[in-house]
Amino acid sequence: MALIRDTPRYAYELIEALGKTGLLTTEGTLYPLLSRLRRDGLVKTEWRESTDGPPRRYYELTAEGRRALTAFKNEWTSFRGAVDGILQEGTKS
Amino acid sequence: MTALHADQLIDGYLARLRVAAIDLPSSVREELIEDMRAHIGEARGHEPAETDASVLNILDRLGEPTTIVGDARERLGIRPAEPYRPGLLEIAAVILVPFLWPIGVILLWISPAWNWRDKLIGTLVPPGGYIGLSFILAAATTQVSSCGTIRDQAGHLIQSSCTGSPELPGVLLVPLTILVFGSPLISAAYLAIRLRWRPRPPVAATA
Repeated sequence: MALIRDTPRYAYELIEALGKTGLLTTEGTLYPLLSRLRRDGLVKTEWRESTDGPPRRYYELTAEGRRALTAFKNEWTSFRGAVDGILQEGTKS
Repeated sequence: MTALHADQLIDGYLARLRVAAIDLPSSVREELIEDMRAHIGEARGHEPAETDASVLNILDRLGEPTTIVGDARERLGIRPAEPYRPGLLEIAAVILVPFLWPIGVILLWISPAWNWRDKLIGTLVPPGGYIGLSFILAAATTQVSSCGTIRDQAGHLIQSSCTGSPELPGVLLVPLTILVFGSPLISAAYLAIRLRWRPRPPVAATA
């Protein structure tokens, strides 16, 4: 969701970006996820013409999607802080 | 340049995806297949020189159709279709089709346990079950026994004739009679066997 926070992107672009991070091993599973986000109203889609092929479906965060992303970021930050704290305690002892 | 077997490989992959997704709602299934088709098209466009191996790599990275469909089911909250379990409705249909054809046939067509072919066989072999056979037999007997005579004014017989089918040789008559009178039971046995060995709808494994 963070990848489409500022700029609408099409699915293949998202897969390429996620592929670089090593977070996506089965590319095809991104499509059911995008479909779920769209059905939940967290992303919206728009078909745009492409210069090198058929039209592409672009994904963009909705206002509700932005709120969900912010909530997740806060949760993640707190979770990461907690895990970091435990790991540092383990290193000291 | 297009790889030699690219279209075959891609069509085969999409066909396996379609089979795996057979129990998904059609809108979800079609969207998934179109997404995969578009993805493959994009990926092929990024290949500097396409070969069969590069197409296979694209499909490998995309993932096994059963994995993708399993993920779609999980994300969209779709449970795999449970195979239908035959019960009293089917037992009643098998018993009533030969002996009480109209009710048996209604039950046969209500039940989702048989496919169209089985239902047609159950309905039409023979049409009407034993009730239908008795009507057919009665009609045939009437036809054979309808004889006519032509007489002149004085009442002398000029011509006598009977219409109807020629008599069958005894060798054929016995097995044919058994076949005709046994056909409702054969049909019911066929329905019972199809109930036991009916093909299961393909259910994709969840990832």
